[in-house]
Amino acid sequence: MATVKKIPIPPKVGEYWPRYRRRALLITVVVQLIAAILIIFPLANSGAVASTGDLILAIVTVLTATMLLNIILVMHLLVPLGDISAALTHISGEPTIVKPPNPNDRHFEQDGFKPLLQLVYAVSSQRDNKQEGGESDDTTSVNFEDILSTLPVGFVAMNADGKIIYANKAAPVRVDSDGNSNLELLFDQNDTLEKWVAECNERSVHGEKIWQRIANKIPGEEDRKIYDISASYEKGKTAEVVLTLIDRSGTYQPEDDDLDFIAFAAHELRGPITVIRGYLDVLGEELEASLDEEQTELLSRLVVSSNRLSGYINNILNASRYDRRHLKLRLKEDSLANIYDSIKDDMHLRASSQRRLLSVDLPDTLPTIAADATGVSEVLGNFIDNAIKYSHDGGVVTVTAEATDDFVTVLVEDKGIGMPDQVVRNLFHKFYRSHRSRETVAGTGIGLYICKAIVESHGGTVGVRSTEGQGSVFTFSLPVYASVAEKLKANDNSNEKFIGKGEGWIKNHAMYRG
Amino acid sequence: MAIKTILCIEDDRFIGEMYVRSLKKAGYDVDWMVDGNDGLVAARNKPYDLILLDIMLPERRGSEILQALRGKEDLIPNTKIIVLTNFDQDEESRVAMEHNVDAYLIKAEITPKTLLKVVSALDGKAAQSGQ
Repeated sequence: MATVKKIPIPPKVGEYWPRYRRRALLITVVVQLIAAILIIFPLANSGAVASTGDLILAIVTVLTATMLLNIILVMHLLVPLGDISAALTHISGEPTIVKPPNPNDRHFEQDGFKPLLQLVYAVSSQRDNKQEGGESDDTTSVNFEDILSTLPVGFVAMNADGKIIYANKAAPVRVDSDGNSNLELLFDQNDTLEKWVAECNERSVHGEKIWQRIANKIPGEEDRKIYDISASYEKGKTAEVVLTLIDRSGTYQPEDDDLDFIAFAAHELRGPITVIRGYLDVLGEELEASLDEEQTELLSRLVVSSNRLSGYINNILNASRYDRRHLKLRLKEDSLANIYDSIKDDMHLRASSQRRLLSVDLPDTLPTIAADATGVSEVLGNFIDNAIKYSHDGGVVTVTAEATDDFVTVLVEDKGIGMPDQVVRNLFHKFYRSHRSRETVAGTGIGLYICKAIVESHGGTVGVRSTEGQGSVFTFSLPVYASVAEKLKANDNSNEKFIGKGEGWIKNHAMYRG
Repeated sequence: MAIKTILCIEDDRFIGEMYVRSLKKAGYDVDWMVDGNDGLVAARNKPYDLILLDIMLPERRGSEILQALRGKEDLIPNTKIIVLTNFDQDEESRVAMEHNVDAYLIKAEITPKTLLKVVSALDGKAAQSGQ
């Protein structure tokens, strides 16, 4: 190890080997010369050699031979050192023309030098790993944490048990009385982080997900923030789940304030409507005996109009909620007949006051559906109202339903003006109104848009068939209760006190299907 | 325990009058308060069978009244509460309120006649559960 550590110290690693070899050869030559002198002098003095010429010849011959032998010997002995030096020069990363010795060469294998070379290379790769991972981590992670703590973006790392192992300052984390850190985020209860992690645990090695508009507190509380959250999941890592939270309050809060404005506006509008609808109901009952036929008719127009007005306000509220992802439905077991019952009187009054015939056949034998009763009654009301508006005087509006597989489909049919194809295509878009209907029929163009939103939030679909001049059939399908019952029950948050048959009430969405 | 006495906390004079008129005609004994503070005082001082509670009230909001009456402990265990509002709250706040009340109705969606039906339905429930 000590050798390895000296590697990067100057002078350069590659320079050592040639210098050392030169010195070794020089020493060999010098030692040979000294040895020769030590032999020559006693020989010359002793007179054992006949002539000086013979003496010189003998000396030169012996000297040359031994010197050559010694040089060859030294060079041979230095080979392993040369190889090690070349290997070390190579791993030091210095530029060099010397080829690094290959431990797999046959002669290395034969003379047993291979493990030695392999060791040199192995030590080198260990050192590289350390620099990339461990050591450098120790020195920079402190800074890393400092950097994270100053960022406006929240970071949270969780281990496989769902425990928070790191959270920076910007992360909405609350420490409870037991000292445990918890995320302070109000996920939609059907789309929580826990659920996603559990799903990943079950079937993925790697996963990513993004949530939008997740608040840390309910509206009205102090320091409420709304985040977009990106999560990544890596099975087996120390930090199995990593969350990045971007505070988008600046964008979402004004939108929520708009929503508040709409809610307040609706509140103001609904006040007078409450009184109008209320007293119309009271008057209708109390004056029933004394009104003549025409007056009764006029009164019913007042009732129909005020009911419509109230429906429009609901449409606006729902549409603004839907656009801001605030539309929440609570699905429970219900029957179409039962839901229609709540708007039946209103619908018949609307039809008769505009001289249409309304025929509704929603038999009790249909399977029950998973429905938000208020939402579905609004869809039915909008569809029937449209059919009344766009049919002819004295026309018939027929409402029927059929069960297919896991869905109950409601058909609202009129024999009215119908629509060409290009109108049908745009029909469910917000504020869309066909050129013709703009001129002849009152409306906002928001009704079908919100109908589609409500139905799709149930996991259902809307549809329309139309022939110009012959009439239209609007349809919507809702899931049969039995087909989604398990999922709904799993989300039961048991508010049995609410009037009605509490089957557990649920927020959004299409996720209940499939 | 049949519902006999009703406290109506409602700041809109027309709406208040309308409900009180219909409820009285139906034979209930009705007190009517127009602001939140008076409403809370009345609710604490007299054991009503039913409270009709508006949310957007002057002085003290309906949610605060509910919190005061049923927040930490239920001060009025024998009283039923119907929230009557025209204010469409956000889902979270609404769910929080619904946990503590017997019904939550949008005023513009009901007429006095419907209200009477809901009250007698609550009465029916109370009778059924043998209270």
